[in-house]
Amino acid sequence: MDRTLFLLGINHRTTGVAVRERFSLANHCDQEHWAVPCTAAVQESVILSTCNRVEILAAGTEEAPEQTLRAWAGATKTDSAELKSYVYVYKHLDAARHLFSVASSLDSMVLGEPQILGQLKTAYRAAVECKTTGVLLNNLLHRAFFVAKRVRSETAIASSAVSISYAAVELAKRIFGNMSMRKALLVGAGEMSELAARHLLQSGVSEILVANRTNAKAQALAEQFHGCAVTFENLTNCLAEVDIVITSTGSTYPLLNARDINAVLKLRKNRPMFFIDIAVPRDIDPDVNNLDNVYLYDIDDLKDVVEENTATRRDEAIKASAIVEEEVASFARWLSGLDIQPSIVDLISHTETIARKELDKTLKRLGHVSDRERAAMETMVAALVRKLNHAPIMFLKRCGMDGNAAHVSMLRRMYSLDKKACPARKNRNALLYD
Amino acid sequence: MISPEFSTLVTLVFYALASIVGIAGIMARSAFWRRLACFLALCGFVCQTVLLMLGFHKALPGGLSLGAYLQLLAWFLLLCGIVVWGKLHQETLLLFSAPLGLLLFVMSAPYLGTLVTVPASLHTPFYVLHIGALFSSLALLALASVAGVLFLLLEKRIKRKQRMENFFLDMPAITLLDKINALGTLLSFPLYTLGIVTGLLWAKSIFGDTGDPKEVVSVVIWLIFAVLFYSRLLKGMRGRKAALLTALIFTLCLFSIFVVNTVMDTHHTFFRLSSGR
Repeated sequence: MDRTLFLLGINHRTTGVAVRERFSLANHCDQEHWAVPCTAAVQESVILSTCNRVEILAAGTEEAPEQTLRAWAGATKTDSAELKSYVYVYKHLDAARHLFSVASSLDSMVLGEPQILGQLKTAYRAAVECKTTGVLLNNLLHRAFFVAKRVRSETAIASSAVSISYAAVELAKRIFGNMSMRKALLVGAGEMSELAARHLLQSGVSEILVANRTNAKAQALAEQFHGCAVTFENLTNCLAEVDIVITSTGSTYPLLNARDINAVLKLRKNRPMFFIDIAVPRDIDPDVNNLDNVYLYDIDDLKDVVEENTATRRDEAIKASAIVEEEVASFARWLSGLDIQPSIVDLISHTETIARKELDKTLKRLGHVSDRERAAMETMVAALVRKLNHAPIMFLKRCGMDGNAAHVSMLRRMYSLDKKACPARKNRNALLYD
Repeated sequence: MISPEFSTLVTLVFYALASIVGIAGIMARSAFWRRLACFLALCGFVCQTVLLMLGFHKALPGGLSLGAYLQLLAWFLLLCGIVVWGKLHQETLLLFSAPLGLLLFVMSAPYLGTLVTVPASLHTPFYVLHIGALFSSLALLALASVAGVLFLLLEKRIKRKQRMENFFLDMPAITLLDKINALGTLLSFPLYTLGIVTGLLWAKSIFGDTGDPKEVVSVVIWLIFAVLFYSRLLKGMRGRKAALLTALIFTLCLFSIFVVNTVMDTHHTFFRLSSGR
């Protein structure tokens, strides 16, 4: 196969939120703004851009990583040399292994959180809509979903609902203690907000308000959690009533700054407020944390809290890693099979052609033959070809699994499958002793 | 017959056990040990209450010893810790009150034989009111300060996004600590005011207009306390600033008791008033 698999990316382990928000491709995953256009070098691509990672999975030639990097830098209007200094690159099976780990949530900030699988499915759907996937990535992504399903069902890695939003709610309890008298405001009606709302309700908050640029979405989410929707324009006013604010919008600029919050604090007589900013780019100016009685945690700050929860899941992660390895091996076999597939097709075609020619000659020599006799002869020839091909095909498949390309090449020469590559008749002896 | 030394010893053992078990419970994050420490502190408190009352009866004709004053302060401190434990179901403050009570007890030991002889002329209702109000105020202030210091420690970790470990994992929420700090401050200030006013009136009636250093220091503390009280009650002061101010006021009170009383020439110089046992 002339295509190789690559995975380029940055994530929460390798870079801070400030870097990730600069190189975020959240707004470049649709048909109009697809960040990595298909070229001769980059033949397939899938973009996964979440708050914790920006990764591009690509299939193409050896130039694919370089071209992908340039396209990424171009889309985010940043310097490709700088981007290169942050980016990790995985190739071939390492790329598959990393993708499987990501899908299984082994590489997530919170081990075992289910959110990433949904995000990966959304990313794949977008790539399919943009027609940037082919045989390789289609198979790889479906395998990734299968691996994630296996990990979730065969291990206890996702047995408890631990996520960024859960960690945030735990922090809120450390500030407020009893949550029954507290009101919460969700800014942004995305998947993250839903999770946060669910955890807040479980912890006993008295009321949930939802603000979103699309009022219908805010109302739908508010109804789901028996809360109230507030208009985005009214956001600053309703801050005085709430104790916990969780923001997860796609805004490219901060929605709230220290001056706004200072005014709100005066209105609420300095009653403490807890802001959880899980958006990338961040929705709340980091200076807000410098105000008295205000506590601000962004996505990176939650990392420490999350690590405590992660520790309890590490044992399960070992089992999950073994599953990932099994599936990587399976994918490797499929890839090898993909390499020998043309040889098998050529072999069958070659032998069938010979058989057909010989059958035609025999039929001519025999003269008149009844249809019944003709059909019987054709069946016999087809069976003969099938049985004669069985052993070499099985041999090819075994070679493919072992990754022994030399045997495949030898078989092609034996059957003269590559007419051009086949040595000339005068070198025949040399070939025999090669 | 129960001697002051015996009463001190029995209570001391309970408070020492409560402190050790409490610290072990905090370090080992064991709910059982922490609860046991609270019950030990409660036993010590009950024991001290009974024996202190007996001790008071004995001491009344000749006055109280300096050690008994310190023990009285420990008693008020434990009382506040037990009230918070019972009312708010928060054992942390009682766990901190027990070692503080123990410390006051250890400090009281050398002075149990040192009688503070109050002249007959000073035996007025003002004196009882002065001592009672100030001691209960100081105990409440101590409790508020402990809550304030815990608040500052926990708040710092939350603000700086530091990892919560061992002891911090079992601490009450910071809003609860702030609430205890507020309650302690708001209850303590009127009592402190009562103690200061009765003390000033009493001193004026006995000593005349003297400009005693203790009075000056006490009035300065009262002014700072008044700022905290006013800001807490009307200006919505909360959290870090309030906790810092409470800790400052309590430190000044300790300075007033242990430095001004013993070093400066005031009416509260117990060593000069004492006549031995």
